[in-house]
Amino acid sequence: MSQRSVIGLFTDEDAAADALDTVRSAGFEQSEYEILTGTPYPEGAFGEEEPVHKLYRFPLIGAACGFIVGLLLTAGTQLAFPLVAGGKPLLSIPPMAIIMYEGTMLGAILFTVFGIVFESRLPRLFMGAYDTRITEGYIGLAITTSEDKTGRAEETLKGAGALEVKRGWES
Amino acid sequence: MHDGHSANGHDAASVSRGLLDRHRAAPIARRIAALTAGVLFLLGIAGFVIKLLDKGTSDPSAWGYYAALVSFLLTAAGGAVMVAIATRLAKAHWRRPISRASEMFAVVTLYTFALLIPLLFALPSLSDHRRSLWFFGELNVPGYMPHIMTTLSFFFLALAGLALLWMSALPDLASLRDSSWGLTGLFNRLSNTWQGTSRQWFVQYHRLGILGALYFMMLVTTHFLFSMDFAMALVPGWIDALFPATHAHNSLHAGAALMLVTMFVLRRFGGYGDYIGLDQFWGLGKLMFALSLLWFWFWFSSFIIFWYGAKPNEQAVLELLMVGPYLPIFMAAFILNFLVPLFTMIWNPLRKSVWGPTIIACGVLLGTFFDRVRLYAASWSVAAADDKHTLREVPAAIMPDVADVMMWVGGLAGAVLVYILAARVIPIISVWEQKELLLYRMHKPFHRLAEVLVLGKKD
Amino acid sequence: MQEHVQLDQKQINKELLNGVLQMPKWWPGATAVVLVIFIVGLCAFGYMLNKGVGVTGLNRPVYWGFFMVNFVFWIGISHAGIMISAILRLTQAEWRRPVTRAAEVLTVFSLMAALMAAPLVHVGRPWRADLWVFPYDFARGVWINIRSPFIWDPSAVMTYLTASTLFVLVALLPDLAIIRDRSKGFTRVAYSVMCLGWRGTPRQWKLQAVAGILLSALVLPVFVSVHSIVSWDFAVQIGPEAWHSTIFAPYFIIGAIHSGVSAVATVMVLMVWLWGWKNYITPDHLDAIGRLLIIVATTWFFFFFLEWVFALYSLEAPELAMRDLQVFQWPWSGLFVLFLLTAFFIPVPMWLFRNLRRSLWAMFISTILVNVGMWLERFLIIIPGTMRRGHMIFDWGSYHPSLIEILMVAMTFAWVILGMLLFSKVFPLIPLFDIKEAMVGRDEIKVGRKTVPASIRE
Repeated sequence: MSQRSVIGLFTDEDAAADALDTVRSAGFEQSEYEILTGTPYPEGAFGEEEPVHKLYRFPLIGAACGFIVGLLLTAGTQLAFPLVAGGKPLLSIPPMAIIMYEGTMLGAILFTVFGIVFESRLPRLFMGAYDTRITEGYIGLAITTSEDKTGRAEETLKGAGALEVKRGWES
Repeated sequence: MHDGHSANGHDAASVSRGLLDRHRAAPIARRIAALTAGVLFLLGIAGFVIKLLDKGTSDPSAWGYYAALVSFLLTAAGGAVMVAIATRLAKAHWRRPISRASEMFAVVTLYTFALLIPLLFALPSLSDHRRSLWFFGELNVPGYMPHIMTTLSFFFLALAGLALLWMSALPDLASLRDSSWGLTGLFNRLSNTWQGTSRQWFVQYHRLGILGALYFMMLVTTHFLFSMDFAMALVPGWIDALFPATHAHNSLHAGAALMLVTMFVLRRFGGYGDYIGLDQFWGLGKLMFALSLLWFWFWFSSFIIFWYGAKPNEQAVLELLMVGPYLPIFMAAFILNFLVPLFTMIWNPLRKSVWGPTIIACGVLLGTFFDRVRLYAASWSVAAADDKHTLREVPAAIMPDVADVMMWVGGLAGAVLVYILAARVIPIISVWEQKELLLYRMHKPFHRLAEVLVLGKKD
Repeated sequence: MQEHVQLDQKQINKELLNGVLQMPKWWPGATAVVLVIFIVGLCAFGYMLNKGVGVTGLNRPVYWGFFMVNFVFWIGISHAGIMISAILRLTQAEWRRPVTRAAEVLTVFSLMAALMAAPLVHVGRPWRADLWVFPYDFARGVWINIRSPFIWDPSAVMTYLTASTLFVLVALLPDLAIIRDRSKGFTRVAYSVMCLGWRGTPRQWKLQAVAGILLSALVLPVFVSVHSIVSWDFAVQIGPEAWHSTIFAPYFIIGAIHSGVSAVATVMVLMVWLWGWKNYITPDHLDAIGRLLIIVATTWFFFFFLEWVFALYSLEAPELAMRDLQVFQWPWSGLFVLFLLTAFFIPVPMWLFRNLRRSLWAMFISTILVNVGMWLERFLIIIPGTMRRGHMIFDWGSYHPSLIEILMVAMTFAWVILGMLLFSKVFPLIPLFDIKEAMVGRDEIKVGRKTVPASIRE
């Protein structure tokens, strides 16, 4: 069944927090509602659940991959072309360490950025219910739910004091 | 808008009373610690006498471990004072409970200065033709120029530290003067005419800033002179322009570690658990971690130039200090100062704990000890030679004898003893800075959050 | 006393997007001028490719000239972004907020200018760079020599360029959504794609905050490595005596920070003058960066002192001869004095005065001076270093840059300015969400009769 989203707009933080309570008590699941803001607020300012993420694993995996690639590159090229240059022995650790270090850091950074995008649940192809005024200070409370519950979601948001309630397609 | 003072519901008077009461108390554990340190210090003096009678002062190689002791104390205690100076400059509120404990290490620097004096007799004069910062031979300077300049620099470092400690403690000394604890004459004299007028407070911050800057400059200068004249200049062909800066960096590193250990002791055994908490360990732990990473960078920046250049003098220096007779001890320093912090402090649960940074800090202090031994024992073991361009023969490792061990134990115990004695007079927690925090910190609800921390910023 | 101007989000959008959503009057003219300079530089480059590096003033033994000076200079400037952005982010310094984006963008374009100066222009035959940089050439079994610093260098610079570009892009996402919401038609589609469908959920904001910290912590070690490795291009050689010094890595790093942070201060002043963002970049911000510069400049001077002390300490004749050339022989002596005055002795005393630190003009002039001085510093390291008069050196010569080199140097400056101008037309130079976050977390505490600014700490 297709999902449909509804958004209620608020200008006051406490009103948005109260509306979130109302939505919760109306039986909507945590996965169905989201607060949308144009600026970061301290975590839990609206009484929302703390998002859980695993971003910290990404740089570690990336660093390990980068280290291995760096090792293979530095050791492999020296073994493949075993020419002593400048009196530096083959498999010299100090220069290898420099390139392996850069490889490690590059791997960690690439994986971190990938992790940020992935954990942020981006890219998002369908915006769902949204209002451009959110980026100028309005607070949105979006409910994404099955089509048959959309009406109830709209009613709940209106009842919670939303200044305006809008619909948008999800998928 | 909120009234910081009243909104917190704290009372400056109760903070003052609580901290001063704790200062007045003399727990038995502290007495035992002081007594033990005193006995061990006497042992150190005995070791010194044995060494002097046995070896005299004509053979520098006999005094390498003693030089390492002086260097270690300068490194760790000298750097520990910087914790207060740097965090005060950054206006970090979390520094407040630990700034006095940090400044108190100035007395250890004074003690280290006393330990330096015998070492001057063992340091060779410039007339042995070694390479010198002072262009002996090129310019008309006395042969004892290193002795004179290092002594002056060390003295002014200790003086700057003591001045900082005194000025910082002035308001608290006045509180003690006004209480009926005793030693009134001493506190009268130490607190001078402090009354807490607006002007005095205005001047207080400015002079702490100026004295802090002065201390830092003297610290860098002292490390520059000491590392040059008491280590590098003794080894022909050792030309490492970065070494004085590395030496000073090591001081900040070991200083942060020493403060972490001190904080743990104060929290666990000193009864200051309600003041010294996770914030302090977290803040300082991060700083120590960053300095551990820089430890590697400083070392590698020197190493790669010598390794790549591979000139005979550079190879000899690497052989002497790293890969030769002192390889095991260098590896221990490398592991404890860099590898262990790297692989442990990246973990949030460990970094955000009281015990984690403390254990790593113990390792860093041990690592710094090894590092100083390999640098100083090695350089003091090099015999004077006419060739000042290259070290022709790398001497074997010097092993510490019983007297060296006694001097090390006694030297460290002496540092602990003077610290405990100073803490008996001056409150170890800065009372006025704690009271000032009440003005700039408050907790308040923020929408659905029951409580957020709001921190005000002083001008 | 800190000044705070309360702004609502609508006003912030309007003011900070004035360069993106509208066309500033000065923008087309300024862009056209730098574009022309850039194109002229490109023509000079084309001429050099056609005729060979003989059209430059490079010769034996001065084989490194303006191009390498410029390379090191731009690598130095590129350290601005990470210094300001990452360190101040990690230390939670509030004054970083309006400065971070411009600093990061300066990093990206400076790095590109550095790549333009050295591998592209300096080598003379840039299409052969793949033979010594990349692990390529399977057919003959000839592989790159990873023991050469000229391999470490590209690996570090490319890592830094990738990292700093991604750093900018990640922090742009919320601001791109703001532009998306204020635009129409194709522009809206373009920004919708670029912001990846950003909506501003608590999860996205949390990840944005964690990303700021995590990427800062990861980019910082790269930042330190880059200029260290650039310095090792010089220092690991034993040829030019003045270069073979252990101080080079920290000396280059702190010099880079000195010039980079100064460049950021210059850009801050320009942002106020050109876009009128005086509500965002206040005298407090200039004061803060001025104080930081005093510390940075003094540290730089300490390393400069160490470099000199140990050059003399060595008592090696060729080293002393090189220093004599650097300081006492015309024209290097004049340049040396100018370098010291502009890099340290004029600007630092200026920054000691609060009024001058808070003055747009004084900060602009002093920070421009620093970069004149720091450019000269690199010049004085490289040129007298290579024209040394040691034993077994049979080619003695001096160096006079040709017009072709001067044009190509101008090209790199034009490139950085052009890049910044083009960026400012498409993306906001001040991170809007960061400014808004400061507004949300801003508070005041009353201490007696006085009110002090405060902020919420999570």
